[in-house]
Amino acid sequence: MGPLKRLLLATLLLCLVAVFLVWRIDSPRVERFRAQVVDAVVPSMDWAMAPVTGAINLARDFQSYQRIVEQNRELRRELQQMKAWKEAALQLEQENARLLDLNNVRLDPRLTFVTGVVLADSGSPFRQSVLLNIGARDGVVDGWAAMDGIGLVGRISGVGKSSSRVILLSDSSSRIPVLIQPSGQTAIVAGDNSIAPFIDFLENPDQVRPGDRVISSGDGGVFPSGLLVGQVAIDPGGRLRVRLAADYERLEFLRVLRDHGQEKITAPGGVILPGAMPEGGAQDG
Amino acid sequence: MRLVYLLLVLAILYLQLLPLQTAPRSWAGPDLILLFTVVWAIRRPEYVPALSVAVVALLADFILMRPPGVMAAILVAARQMLKHQEPGLRDSPFALEWLTAAAALAAILLANRLVLAVFLVEQPALGISLTQLFMNVLAYPLVVLVSRLAMGVRKLRPGETDAVAGAP
Repeated sequence: MGPLKRLLLATLLLCLVAVFLVWRIDSPRVERFRAQVVDAVVPSMDWAMAPVTGAINLARDFQSYQRIVEQNRELRRELQQMKAWKEAALQLEQENARLLDLNNVRLDPRLTFVTGVVLADSGSPFRQSVLLNIGARDGVVDGWAAMDGIGLVGRISGVGKSSSRVILLSDSSSRIPVLIQPSGQTAIVAGDNSIAPFIDFLENPDQVRPGDRVISSGDGGVFPSGLLVGQVAIDPGGRLRVRLAADYERLEFLRVLRDHGQEKITAPGGVILPGAMPEGGAQDG
Repeated sequence: MRLVYLLLVLAILYLQLLPLQTAPRSWAGPDLILLFTVVWAIRRPEYVPALSVAVVALLADFILMRPPGVMAAILVAARQMLKHQEPGLRDSPFALEWLTAAAALAAILLANRLVLAVFLVEQPALGISLTQLFMNVLAYPLVVLVSRLAMGVRKLRPGETDAVAGAP
């Protein structure tokens, strides 16, 4: 090996190490660059990925036709149960509407969403994330919540022009503040690369039972509050975990909730002087 | 053949990214990009020049959400070491080659975890990394077979060296 080659090799290694060091020092900038790289590479592969994914899913669906009779029976049974639930839900809905009306509650009118298609998954068994085909041009912003039809799926982390990455709740870097109903305790749902993330920082575990509903609490302004996360379950080790409501086996379409943040009250109330009283108030006094 | 390597890696990346498996697993399949690089570096280092290994691994680092640069640098270094091993392995039995590869794969994993630990980067669980190492070692003969049958990557035979030295 010639000295020139040796020099080139050393330069190459140095460059790679430099990339890592820059990432370690100034992570946000490099992560932005990463989002741009992914944005440039992955959507351009989409034309090839969509048909292959479709074909494989078709084959899987076809396999499920084999047990269609059995499935049909199951579905009928479930339908019976669901009818009972539907009745209960209708009654509750009416009651809820009446109560909301009585209390003059105003729901947040700005909670709208934009729906994206899942382009790709993380491609590695160590990270749990998916890539959506919506990005900065659709107004997606880092930190917004992503849901499937039922429950919370994850949080936007990394936005390119036409793609954005959703870190799933099961990723080991995911931490979400939640509220556990009906005991009303707050906790953190922390992912650990398994299908059921565990519940951390719970003040009083005795008040929490398997089957309790877990919803996002909105603490820290990360998420809107009240999004369904899942149900409490206990693993064989006795640890509290969340059985996620979203269907993680099939993530195809995700809705990203637009969140414009909560308005904050920063200043304390000022001193009220007689001269500064509004007209109506002054007359009454 | 260098072009074939680049295309191959792109194809593997593409297959890995297909959104078929969005639920987390407790085990990991073999890391095919790493495996193909190691196999080709042991058998025909001239097919995987340091520059293309670096480019490919850096791209994979970026796309697969790994800390960028670490795996790429380690892989380039590993390729260099394996290249020095290659003349000695030419006439040796396959078991020895397999052993060398297993050692290299373990060393790559160890170096990766060590660097990440020194720089206090969050790492995946040790268990899943070890299953991946195990799968990598198991899949090694398979990848050798595929490279040989589908892509014609063979070990050099004695006397073939001169002919290849002139080829690109």
